[in-house]
Amino acid sequence: MPDIRDDEITKGAANNPDPNYWRSFEELHRDQSFINEINKEFKEGASESPDISGISAFSRRKFLALLGASAAFAGTACTNYRDKGEIIPYNKKPAEITIGKANYYASTCNGCSFACGVLIKTREGRPVKIDGNPDHPVSQGKICAQGQASIMGLYDPDRLKSPKSNNNNRFVDISWHDADAEIINELNNVGSKEIALITGNIVSPAENKLIHDFINKYPAAKVYSFEQFNESVRNNAWKKCYGTGEFPLIKWNQAEVVVSLDSDFLGMGANKIENTRLFAERRDVINKKFNRLYVVESNLSLTGMNADYRLKLRPDAQYAFVMAILNELRKRNAIDVSRDTGNFSLENFAGEYNLSKKDLNYLMDDLMNNRGRAIVYAGDQLPVNVHIAVNALNEYLGNSKLYNPDAEKINILPLSTYDELKNLAEKMKAGQVGMVIHYDANPVYNFPVNFNYEELLNNVDIIVSLTQVENESSINGNYILPVHHYLESWGDAKTRNGFYSLRQPVISPLYDTRQKEAILLNWINGEPSSFKETVYHEYLMDYWKTEVYPGLNSKLSFKTLWYGALHDGVVLKNEKVSLSFTFNSSVLADLPSSAINISGFAVHIKESYALKDGRYANNGWLQELPHPVSKVTWDNYAAVSSTTAKKLGLETNDLVEIKISDNSLTIPVLVQPGAADNSITIETGYGRTKAGTVGERVGFNANKLSNISTGLSPWLFTSAEVNKVPGNYKLVLAQTFYDFTQSLKQDLPKKRGIIKEGTVAEYLSNPGFMIHEEEKSKELPSVNPPFPYNKLKWGMSIDLNKCLSCGDCVVACLVENNIPVVGKDQVNVGREMHWLRIDRYYSGTMEDPAVSNQPMLCQQCDQAPCENVCPVLATTHSPDGLNQMIYNRCVGTRYCSNNCPYKVRRFNFFNFRDDFRDGYQESPVFALLQNPEVTVRSRGVMEKCTFCIQRIAEAKADAVREGKELKGSDVTTACKDACSTNAIKFGDINNKEEEFYKYRNHELGYYVLEELNIKPNVTYIAKLRNTHSEEA
Amino acid sequence: MKVDYTTEAPVIQERLSLAQIQELVAKPLDTKPDKKFFIALTISGSLLLFGAVLLAITFYKGIGLWGNNEPVGWGFPIINFVFWVGIGHAGTLISAILFLLRQKWRTGIARFAEAMTIFAVMCAGIFPIIHLGRPWLAGYLVPYPNQHGMWVNFTSPLVWDVFAVSTYFTVSLIFWYTGLIPDFATLRDRTASKIKKSIYSIFSLGWRHSNRHWQHYEKAYVLLAGFATPLVLSVHTIVSFDFAVAILPGWHSTIFPPYFVAGAIFSGFAMVVTVLIFVRKIFDLQSIITLNHLEKMNKVIIATSLMVGYSYAMEFFIAWYSGVPEEQFVFINRAFGPYAWAYWTMVSCNVLFPQLFWFRKIRRSVPAMLAIVILVNVGMWFERFVIVVTSLHRDFLPSSWGMFIPTIYDIGILLGSFGLFFTLVILFTKSLPVISISEIKAVAEGAQPSYHGGVNHE
Repeated sequence: MPDIRDDEITKGAANNPDPNYWRSFEELHRDQSFINEINKEFKEGASESPDISGISAFSRRKFLALLGASAAFAGTACTNYRDKGEIIPYNKKPAEITIGKANYYASTCNGCSFACGVLIKTREGRPVKIDGNPDHPVSQGKICAQGQASIMGLYDPDRLKSPKSNNNNRFVDISWHDADAEIINELNNVGSKEIALITGNIVSPAENKLIHDFINKYPAAKVYSFEQFNESVRNNAWKKCYGTGEFPLIKWNQAEVVVSLDSDFLGMGANKIENTRLFAERRDVINKKFNRLYVVESNLSLTGMNADYRLKLRPDAQYAFVMAILNELRKRNAIDVSRDTGNFSLENFAGEYNLSKKDLNYLMDDLMNNRGRAIVYAGDQLPVNVHIAVNALNEYLGNSKLYNPDAEKINILPLSTYDELKNLAEKMKAGQVGMVIHYDANPVYNFPVNFNYEELLNNVDIIVSLTQVENESSINGNYILPVHHYLESWGDAKTRNGFYSLRQPVISPLYDTRQKEAILLNWINGEPSSFKETVYHEYLMDYWKTEVYPGLNSKLSFKTLWYGALHDGVVLKNEKVSLSFTFNSSVLADLPSSAINISGFAVHIKESYALKDGRYANNGWLQELPHPVSKVTWDNYAAVSSTTAKKLGLETNDLVEIKISDNSLTIPVLVQPGAADNSITIETGYGRTKAGTVGERVGFNANKLSNISTGLSPWLFTSAEVNKVPGNYKLVLAQTFYDFTQSLKQDLPKKRGIIKEGTVAEYLSNPGFMIHEEEKSKELPSVNPPFPYNKLKWGMSIDLNKCLSCGDCVVACLVENNIPVVGKDQVNVGREMHWLRIDRYYSGTMEDPAVSNQPMLCQQCDQAPCENVCPVLATTHSPDGLNQMIYNRCVGTRYCSNNCPYKVRRFNFFNFRDDFRDGYQESPVFALLQNPEVTVRSRGVMEKCTFCIQRIAEAKADAVREGKELKGSDVTTACKDACSTNAIKFGDINNKEEEFYKYRNHELGYYVLEELNIKPNVTYIAKLRNTHSEEA
Repeated sequence: MKVDYTTEAPVIQERLSLAQIQELVAKPLDTKPDKKFFIALTISGSLLLFGAVLLAITFYKGIGLWGNNEPVGWGFPIINFVFWVGIGHAGTLISAILFLLRQKWRTGIARFAEAMTIFAVMCAGIFPIIHLGRPWLAGYLVPYPNQHGMWVNFTSPLVWDVFAVSTYFTVSLIFWYTGLIPDFATLRDRTASKIKKSIYSIFSLGWRHSNRHWQHYEKAYVLLAGFATPLVLSVHTIVSFDFAVAILPGWHSTIFPPYFVAGAIFSGFAMVVTVLIFVRKIFDLQSIITLNHLEKMNKVIIATSLMVGYSYAMEFFIAWYSGVPEEQFVFINRAFGPYAWAYWTMVSCNVLFPQLFWFRKIRRSVPAMLAIVILVNVGMWFERFVIVVTSLHRDFLPSSWGMFIPTIYDIGILLGSFGLFFTLVILFTKSLPVISISEIKAVAEGAQPSYHGGVNHE
């Protein structure tokens, strides 16, 4: 339209003032700009393509991109993301390390004088687990709880990180060079005074040579080797009876009858691993061979719990008891004793101490009927006369046949006698000792109190302490030199004839520490700057090349032999011995002919089951390990009988003051069922004042009573005075105390079928006595059709005849599965995290209880009650029969734990690593301790035994890679590995060929709480008590 | 005293006119809160704050601050949860079941009871979440499609709980709001304040009191009442499944659903009575919430008390009759074990003291009933304590027996939940009509067309 009009307008534009309608003058006058204007449909700029250069730089895309980026930055910048460093893979892979694959190295434990062979599992260069070395001829693949837990010592955050010297009563860091220079100077300038080197037991031949080299270099030096708990009394008695040598090893596996007199040979002492293995060989439900154990003891011990007959007797009456047995046997014409053994009568004795005459009769009969197949074994801590009498008893009964003539204990450096130590004390007092070197020893804590060692240290000019963690002996000294953990050290050991064992480092030193042997070596060299990290390694190799290798008569070159020896951890040597034992019967003449005068209380000081002599005080796992008998954690106590407690008006947790001449100790009381009256047993190792974050201010220092001049032996005292003192101290038990007084609760575990027991006689006459036909035939119906487990399915069996309840398996589980320490306060409220625990049940009376033990762990029920109640499917079942726990899914309702009849599930009420001792376990170095195959659980998550699923998974992966079928025997659990008596079996329940199958389907096997029809997969082999058949 | 049981007692006393009723109910909403209100609010608010602080510390440190331990995995939070869900039962029962049963006396108390239900369920709802070890993952209990490929376990009673409680809360809230609509309209019509007017207008959803509205409303109300009725029974049945489905002696029992429902009604009524006693006094509502109302509720209390008592007896009987030693032990342990004091507190508060309601005088005496209903609430809390703690603390294996000792955190969070409840109740009394104006008008004398023109049939 506009076009037409435009044309018209343009047409007459020249001269025709056409009265056309106009709207403005511009239109009327045909202004060109106006015409241009109306010729365009849209406004200026609207129809042209836009000029990009003029537009804002913010495009829509860019705007959105910036918006998104700033939101992302705002989001991420405010999180707690921290740069945790880079993970750089190996550029060139070391030949021996494959990431994700464990390496195993053989080595030797140095936890005690026994020097067990160990096999150390390392992952990516850091040790994570210690097991026994199966090639070691004595320990045979097993180590004790302390050996298992010793790995925590390596990563202990309290370890000293550099040498320190005392500067005006303040320890300041010093370089090794300066420290060495100063100490060497002191060593040279000691003059006529003595240099006392105080050490523990030396079992290493190379170290022994080194110490002698040290003495050669510094003639003023003298070695004092001391162990608080030792066999000196036993060996003194042996020397008196047999003239030479030491008390021999015993063939426990050939003994039909074992009589233990206050000796905890199954629970304590260095030879525990071998003792338990040999002993348990004779508690075999497959070969149906059973020994009989009599225990005559004061406090209920681990050995006592496993006794077939147990008699309570205060320890200071043991001498009279043994003499009474000798007399009784003589009276019965069973033995021919040349000498009149005094006025001891078993009948009177039994009356005096209220011993069961029936049981004593059985004992007499058994001793007479089993000549040469019985052994009477007295405890290390009993007085020397008891040992002499026992030696005589064994000799007259022909029981010396059970002394092992083929194996000889070897003492590389005999322990110092108490007289030598007394000499040291006197010299110190007289100021004749210029320098004391605490060579990884803690005499201030461990020495008998009458030496007054701590005070005498003031008379010494220079005190040097070689230690891993500061202790009571180091804090008052001049120099503290940090030493390697044994996993960082070289070494060797010789404890028996027939073999040597070797120690090799499995990790570079974590801190600026040195091996204690290397420190001495550097002092011998006398030149501080000449130190090399390899100095002791070379010394050791040199020693072996010159001293050991020639004796081995090996066809191999030394290098080959050396590497082979390191690989195996042990070197066998052909050194047969044939010991003969000739008894000198005249010793009997020297024995007192009447019993010692007994009055007041007997006090028996024992080594702690967990902490030993206190050296493991800073180990949280061991502190939290429940006492095998009383289940007390984190404390020691005075164990008294209920009658004695009543007499003194005491209850558990009351405080008593124990006085032995000048020494006294205030300590809480625990009323221990089965303890002998008027005797008190205290374990040492507690009450450390300087031990580290974990070990300080835990328990009471019983060493305050250990006085060699007042006791019958250094550990046994009579005529003690005991008084109740006001106050209370809470002892924390991991298992609630069992109440004997209410008939409702009495013998509950047996009534409920949790514990099923019988006697050997019953079993031998009717092997199926436990199986009730009507129960067996009835398969309880289930709502859901059961899952058919046709293939491999995991199961476990625990032989309660072999289980001695030591707790080694518990510690193995703690190490394998990254289980945190929770502390005394949390154990007190029932929150310990142990996946595997040992349940201890008393039955019978408070005075004479029978004890039944039962390791309790997740039973991996086929119809697990925990699984159906979990709302989030955090616990489910696997096709190979495992009850699995998926931590990431767990929200922490704790319903599963409520519904678990075994109460084996454990809940992280806190982040226990953070909660315990102010985050002690969160220290960065602790992270190295964790098993990388096991999740470290966070707060609010449920956990429980998995049957070591990480090991199953590894075995599965291996089987797949090798194209083999996975077999039950390919996998072992940590607890099974640790069990020194092989009570735990693990395997495939469907494989008839495996050894496990025999146990799984054994006629003595039963399931705990079977009637619930939840189908547990842990078979317990019922315990048989080897009592006389006339006793039903 | 001679009582004539042939005639029904009037629902409201004093012949109040409809305008008077409206005035009476709406009065608290029109007046400024007085000092007493603020004192009450301060007390309940302080309790709430105390609980909230302790809860915050618990979130920070972990639930180890509570008394829960290895045998006793559930402690105060689950006890409190069951307790509050139980309290929440009276409201729906009064408003829905009594409505369907045409119990006209319910009108005076229904609104209040419903509000209490909602507040109690809110209190209850907190506990299952905070009792978790990892409360921030509570969402895992809800089945929703997610990238983790996770799903819930429909065999677990805790998942049933999630549905039961959330359904119950939703339905109760809708039911309550539906009943409020005509009242909102009334308030809207009578208020002079602009702000109030707009708020009331929004919530009254355009209600004009028209005949058609009333028709729809009544139909909806009946349907909702019908819908809510089974929930009254189902919620506590499902809560009881938390225990009954487990295999634990003392929990594994078929009597639990009816026993729990009876107990819930019992405690709910007791709580309603407790609060109403104060409300009718403070807001001068004695003529609408009459002694007759309270007496009727006391009768329900004694009836449910007998049911609960029967359940207690039956549990013991079955324990003996079953011949299961663990079961027998649990019950003997309840009555004579270390928690016997809790058991006998429960029995005396729940079974013995309510028997006093057999006496009419006590039923109608405000101080006496206040004492008894408070005891009932204490007793019902202890009932849950007894069920949870005494069953868990000594179960199958004597080796794992333990004791449960509550900490300040347990007690503080319980007090905090009471603080939350009463804060909500106090705020409710000043912000919404505590009595249904429309319903109460309907039961006022002369309100309904009748043959004799509203004159009482003598």
